[in-house]
Amino acid sequence: MSAQAEFDKIAVGEVINGRSFTVTTETIQDFGDASLDYNPLHFDPDWMQKNDFGGTQFGTVIMHGMQNFSLITRTLTDWLVPRGGYHRRLETRWIKPVKLGDTIMPEATISRKNLTDGGNWAQFDVVVKNQDGEPVATGQALAEFRDTIPG
Amino acid sequence: MNVMGEEFETDFWKEVSDRATWDMIVPGDLRETRPVTLTKQIIQDFARKVGEDNPLYFDEAYAKSTAYGGIVAPPSIHLLLMFACTTSRDWMRSPGTINAGQNWFYNVPIRPGDTIEMRGTALDKFIKKDRLFAVHENLFTNQHGQVVCTGRGQTIRPV
Repeated sequence: MSAQAEFDKIAVGEVINGRSFTVTTETIQDFGDASLDYNPLHFDPDWMQKNDFGGTQFGTVIMHGMQNFSLITRTLTDWLVPRGGYHRRLETRWIKPVKLGDTIMPEATISRKNLTDGGNWAQFDVVVKNQDGEPVATGQALAEFRDTIPG
Repeated sequence: MNVMGEEFETDFWKEVSDRATWDMIVPGDLRETRPVTLTKQIIQDFARKVGEDNPLYFDEAYAKSTAYGGIVAPPSIHLLLMFACTTSRDWMRSPGTINAGQNWFYNVPIRPGDTIEMRGTALDKFIKKDRLFAVHENLFTNQHGQVVCTGRGQTIRPV
């Protein structure tokens, strides 16, 4: 099916649910080993206990903020790739730190479809919520439905 | 083990005094960078460790059957590039650097064997309440000079 036909099938309001993710010292280590981000914020509980970041006391190690980013990316690309959608943009903000033992869940909602001179574009509102339903990260994403891959 | 291997310095306290503090960051100044070649092994190790299991990143026959025409890296591979392409003296490694949000645009996908170069600057810096912020801008290109992705983000700088 052409990307145009796939684009015509998607509907504003459609919700894409990602997989839930529970933060452990192992997931933090894996993310550090992948991203090369070894900031002690994520690895050194003693330092986190005693450090007051200009008024924000975390008390414990926190998950890499970019873990949210990568979970949102996976949610979008796993849905887009089989539909001829190409992930074009992701904009994120962190709302709340995520700590060891928290379980988070990414979710994307198609918010708008746009036609440009030569393209079919879909906008998404994205949110990552914790086990209490509180948003820990929010953002917007943009995908282009096209038959060829740039490059 | 990290995906780049033993040569990557994982102790961010080393060389801490060689890194620019907020006061020393000059918007527009280029960060010191180096090109990095992403082998299929690096791309797939990265993918596994961030939980990416789409066959587009692992299964050559499947990837060939799609518009991609072969295995590519997950778009989020720039997470790794930001540290792989900078040096251990780069201020993004300063302990206590807090990420406050990021925007990324994706152009050409990264493929196994690509050599990626980074152009990185601070774009802006400001103080909000009692926090010191830096805005950074990164541009990544491949060996053909094509833009693979661009990103802008904000970090709260350690005091």
